[in-house]
Amino acid sequence: MQFQPETHSYYSASSVVIHGGGGVAAADPFERVVRLASGSAVVVFSVSTCCMCHAVKRLFCGMGVSPTVYELDQDPRGKEIERVLSQLLGGGSAVPVVFIGGKLVGAMDRVMASHISGNLVPLLKEAGALWL
Amino acid sequence: MFPSWPIRFHHHTPVGSSKSGGGGGGGEESTDSGSAANTLSTTVPESPVSTKPSSSDHHHLQPPQMDGAGGFSQSHQTAGRQTPEKTLRRLAQNREAARKSRLRKKAYVQQLESSRIRLTQLEQDLHRARSQGIFLGGGGVAGGSISSGGAIFDMEYARWLDEDLRHMSELRTAVQAHLTDGDLRVIVDAYISHYDEIFRLKGVAAKSDVFHLITGMWATPAERCFLWMGGFRPSDLIKMLISQLDPLTEQQIMGIYGLQQTSQQAEDALSQGLEQLQQSLIDTIANGSINDSMHHMAVALGKLANLEGFVRQADNLRQQTLHQLRRILTVRQAARCFLVIGEYYGRLRALSSLWASRPREALQMADDNSCQTTTDLHMVQSSQNQFSNF
Repeated sequence: MQFQPETHSYYSASSVVIHGGGGVAAADPFERVVRLASGSAVVVFSVSTCCMCHAVKRLFCGMGVSPTVYELDQDPRGKEIERVLSQLLGGGSAVPVVFIGGKLVGAMDRVMASHISGNLVPLLKEAGALWL
Repeated sequence: MFPSWPIRFHHHTPVGSSKSGGGGGGGEESTDSGSAANTLSTTVPESPVSTKPSSSDHHHLQPPQMDGAGGFSQSHQTAGRQTPEKTLRRLAQNREAARKSRLRKKAYVQQLESSRIRLTQLEQDLHRARSQGIFLGGGGVAGGSISSGGAIFDMEYARWLDEDLRHMSELRTAVQAHLTDGDLRVIVDAYISHYDEIFRLKGVAAKSDVFHLITGMWATPAERCFLWMGGFRPSDLIKMLISQLDPLTEQQIMGIYGLQQTSQQAEDALSQGLEQLQQSLIDTIANGSINDSMHHMAVALGKLANLEGFVRQADNLRQQTLHQLRRILTVRQAARCFLVIGEYYGRLRALSSLWASRPREALQMADDNSCQTTTDLHMVQSSQNQFSNF
């Protein structure tokens, strides 16, 4: 499991993507979210002090998945991202939010519902985050 | 032989004579005697047999009674007389005791009436609050240590339990009556909605009093023993069900074991999240200095607010588990499965009652204990239906 501020990415699959195509600083927050979410198989937007975020990270670790985690409180423009996420979720807490294969899964309740109903594992496999 | 509480309540003025002569055995004691003083009083320490025989004066005040099982025999008149003062004083004491007893009874009845009125008012308030979508704060809830949110949830939960019994008997009848799958599905889905309802109510209660939920004060002691994050642990429920369910297809077995695994993983994740919250709270509370203690308290309060989220997610997990069970099983299997679940928790609740009423005297013989328990079990089983179908 990696914790990464947005500006340098050590995640092997996408180490080039973040720096590629200049003008990163001017990106609209929504576009940033989309870009970050598509950058890895499993993306978790989190706040380092948030306990529910800790729970969702533990869930993935327990399944043998290494998500890419963005700690928004450690990002200078984290607040903007939080606002976007909150809008995407239709209000409520902005974190944790999970993207798999670039697609929005949702907040903790949707992630758990997806896991219980047996949909989460196929999603993860499809995105290449889990192998048999 | 000598009942301390009356079998009949007499309206006579409590002037009475003792019942049997000194020579009489207890068998001559008649409860039809006119001695209202003896029947009303619980505080008179003397047993009727030991009271001194009345003087013959009292026969004038008392209509002659049937001799029946032995009461006013002629031996009264020949019994040794006590001094009139002692007799009079004893009778006055009896009168006084009887009067006090009547007053106590009246006070008790009045208390019952006012409680009944208060209960009706509470229910009305509850309905009003629900229809207005407001949550009541304060206001007339007895039993000081429970919040209004907690008290309201307890009332709704009690009603939900009654509903549960109704659903259970409906399920039972439906399974035995061999209804069509379509009809059975309606009943099964209604039971799922019934559970959806309690999770919704718990969600509302979590907003107003999360401690009430998470400490399990709404549940019976035995349930509290197994409480996980304010309710039952889904993986435990699945484990219990695996041994109880019908013969399952291989795909269903995979599904059930899969459900056990996913619920276990979800529980572990939530538990670890809650642990982190607790650790963070400990740090906050421990590290406040005198100067900024208010600030630390404010931070601690903020962290406590996250408890609600964990209880909500735990209830969400419970709800999803039940829905997934429904998806894995056929309608008929699901009906039997929910019967098993309902009966299981019914037994757990009954265990709490039995435990609370178990005989506590260490000197009691082991036989007595088992007899007592057996009697209680019979009482419980008469209100629970048989599990023997499974």
